[in-house]
Amino acid sequence: MAEDNHEPLAGASALREALWALLPPTKEELVPELGEEVEAGVARLLREAAALFCGGRRSACLQASEAVLDYSWEKLNTGPWRDVPKDWRRVYALGCLLKAACLCHEPGDAPAVAEALRVCDMGLLMGAAIHGDVLLKVAAVLQAHLPAGKRPGPAQEQPSTKKARNDGVSVPDVASERQVPRLRCPSLQHFRKQFLAPGRPVILEGVVDQWPCMTKWSLEYLQEIAGCRTVPVEVGSRYTDEDWSQTLMTVNEFISKHLRGESSDVGYLAQHRLFDQIPELKRDISIPDYCCLGDGEEDEITINAWFGPRGTVSPLHQDPQQNFLVQVIGRKYIRLYSPQESEALYPHETHLLHNTSQVDVENPDLERFPRFAEAPFLSCVLSPGEVLFIPVRYWHYVRALDLSFSVSFWWS
Amino acid sequence: MAEERRGSWFGFGFCGFGQALGSGRGRQVHSPEPLATPGPGADVCRVSASWSYTAVVTRERPSPPHFRPRPGGVVRPPPSQPSAPAGGGQLQLSGAADGAAGGCRDAWASEALLVVLRAGPADGPGPELQAWAPGSALRGEPLWTHTLVPEAGREDAAGGEPQARALPLLPGARAYVSPRPPFYRPLAPELRARRLELGGEHALLLDEAGQVFSWGQGRHGQLGHGTLEAAREPRLLEALQGLPMAEVAAGGWHSVCVSETGDIYVWGWNESGQLALPTRSLAEDGKTVAREAGRPNEGDSDMRTVGSEDGAPAPFIAIQPFPALLDLPRGAEAAQASCGSRHTAVVTRTGELYTWGWGKYGQLGHQDTTSLDRPRRVEYFVDKRLQVRAVSCGLWNTYVYAVEKEESGPPQPRA
Repeated sequence: MAEDNHEPLAGASALREALWALLPPTKEELVPELGEEVEAGVARLLREAAALFCGGRRSACLQASEAVLDYSWEKLNTGPWRDVPKDWRRVYALGCLLKAACLCHEPGDAPAVAEALRVCDMGLLMGAAIHGDVLLKVAAVLQAHLPAGKRPGPAQEQPSTKKARNDGVSVPDVASERQVPRLRCPSLQHFRKQFLAPGRPVILEGVVDQWPCMTKWSLEYLQEIAGCRTVPVEVGSRYTDEDWSQTLMTVNEFISKHLRGESSDVGYLAQHRLFDQIPELKRDISIPDYCCLGDGEEDEITINAWFGPRGTVSPLHQDPQQNFLVQVIGRKYIRLYSPQESEALYPHETHLLHNTSQVDVENPDLERFPRFAEAPFLSCVLSPGEVLFIPVRYWHYVRALDLSFSVSFWWS
Repeated sequence: MAEERRGSWFGFGFCGFGQALGSGRGRQVHSPEPLATPGPGADVCRVSASWSYTAVVTRERPSPPHFRPRPGGVVRPPPSQPSAPAGGGQLQLSGAADGAAGGCRDAWASEALLVVLRAGPADGPGPELQAWAPGSALRGEPLWTHTLVPEAGREDAAGGEPQARALPLLPGARAYVSPRPPFYRPLAPELRARRLELGGEHALLLDEAGQVFSWGQGRHGQLGHGTLEAAREPRLLEALQGLPMAEVAAGGWHSVCVSETGDIYVWGWNESGQLALPTRSLAEDGKTVAREAGRPNEGDSDMRTVGSEDGAPAPFIAIQPFPALLDLPRGAEAAQASCGSRHTAVVTRTGELYTWGWGKYGQLGHQDTTSLDRPRRVEYFVDKRLQVRAVSCGLWNTYVYAVEKEESGPPQPRA
């Protein structure tokens, strides 16, 4: 039901009721017990914000929530991310929840609801789950109350026929390179014995044919489902470049600026757990059956979205888990080097980049990296419907030949 | 010898817990206001501000600070903060933590821990270091204590600076105190530390020879060694070798030092312009560097601007991993610096205060909440004819010590 901006009161009270139903009713329930890491000052301010919210003091609650957010943001940026105490991420998420709820308190207009949704997304991206994933539910409610969303440009526009940023970008002469073998729906035992156990790459065909994403996903569909959601985007050719940076924008902005538009910057929605953030998209994908051959639980599998224009590059690197790379839209050129060749790939010496090669695969500096020329590799062009198995710690280099959407599954 | 006029403290920025700033009304103060606590006329010798509370140490009885020129005859301005009385003064807390205690020589406030240096008896065991939970209001027992060796000669040591070695560096410079365990951290004696500052995830040390060392996390470039690698032990800033430093300051993720000749060097994270380098976040908000409307700043010509003559966009700097020289307007020379979590404040030799960086809570003192990626003078002190002598930043606020300007002539050398 589309919201009419000229009648804010009617829609807004329905929105408020829907939100109130999701939130814990008392201030004691809003703010759970927090560990010792969370200092007394900020814990007190968070409880005060909750009390203000329950007392209907929106403006004061917004002020207090803002300070809680700014303070916990600093904690989230202190020390390695994996060492950030979960309680700080909970505090951040609680701050987001209160702020988003306050922004919708008054008869809202679309910008306030859009801002509240952005705040929810920040809580989902950086916070930890609170109150049974309430931020997911709040986001869904807010999204339902937003106008159907502006679509930049005509809906029928095919972005792949638009003038590409780097016209004349080369399609590699794959035929002259040793190819990754292809198999159609191998049995679990065959896959385990011939590829998983010995750590050999393979392309699996026919495995994801029935996944809804294969037929449903398009730029229009993604904008409809997730257009106003805020996502992290990497800007810059590759993450080893000096001018590489990460930023946040809505899916609509990302598509219009980096996929349809003529932006001189390459923008890549890369390595993002989009399906945790937007459960509706998760229904369009599944988990490859072969993951059951691993040791871990299904809910430990990390699912990442990789969505970007032609020309995105992931420099040659290795990951600490097994990987199924499912290609949904567009084609990718991928090169694979065995871990046994690691020395010939000249990994960076810094701790930060020790899993990344210094060599630019398609334009190697053979004076600095002479052994690279002799290192054997496999390559392929991965097309929609195909799944590439990248064994653990297998070096891989990826370049998008078209506007591309891939889904990766990291499992052990 | 001219007697130094007693100055007073001012504050601006975040005071959402009712801490000492200004009148105590409201959550933010955007322009300097005299401190409400401990009140006008108090002889404050140390202000240490944490996020939710502020610790203020005042003298028991007034005594004029000692001035002396440095060996070598170079005349320097009077010391930035009057030295702590040997017998210890009064400590007062305001904000989320309150309470008071006597016999305190120094205090250092953090969210997890309040560290207090209590004066020891004249001929007995040395001063006692105490760590308190901020919420304890200094009642009951401290969390832990550590008795220090009584040091031979205090502030009057020949050739020593009148300024006391401040917490978190401990007297004797053999160790420092940390808000995270282990609380007592020894320093290698060969480091000969003069000052030590703790940032959000790093530490800076200034030694007797004016060399700077850094250690801790490096992912935001705050160590200044040119990489993003962490350092577990103090490592010398080689880029500054041959440039003796007089002051260091550590922010959340950035570092500042002031040379003996009054130059400023900055390095670390520039996400809010705290290094006074162009930052993308402010450009996207249309706020970076511009010639701002309103009060024109003279001497802007030597300031870096975003956008060169041919219209090409200037490069944004998110992280500066090694020291960069920073020029203040009008060629002003720096005397002292202090950093909040994401902002920077510098006192000049002529008694001006410049601030830049994150301004959302009014911590820059320019009567608004905009962030700046270049230094701007805090006009309040110019308008009131006040000479700024010292600055001490909390995470999101700024405390300033200033005296009334003398009526005539340049500062006289003091005997």
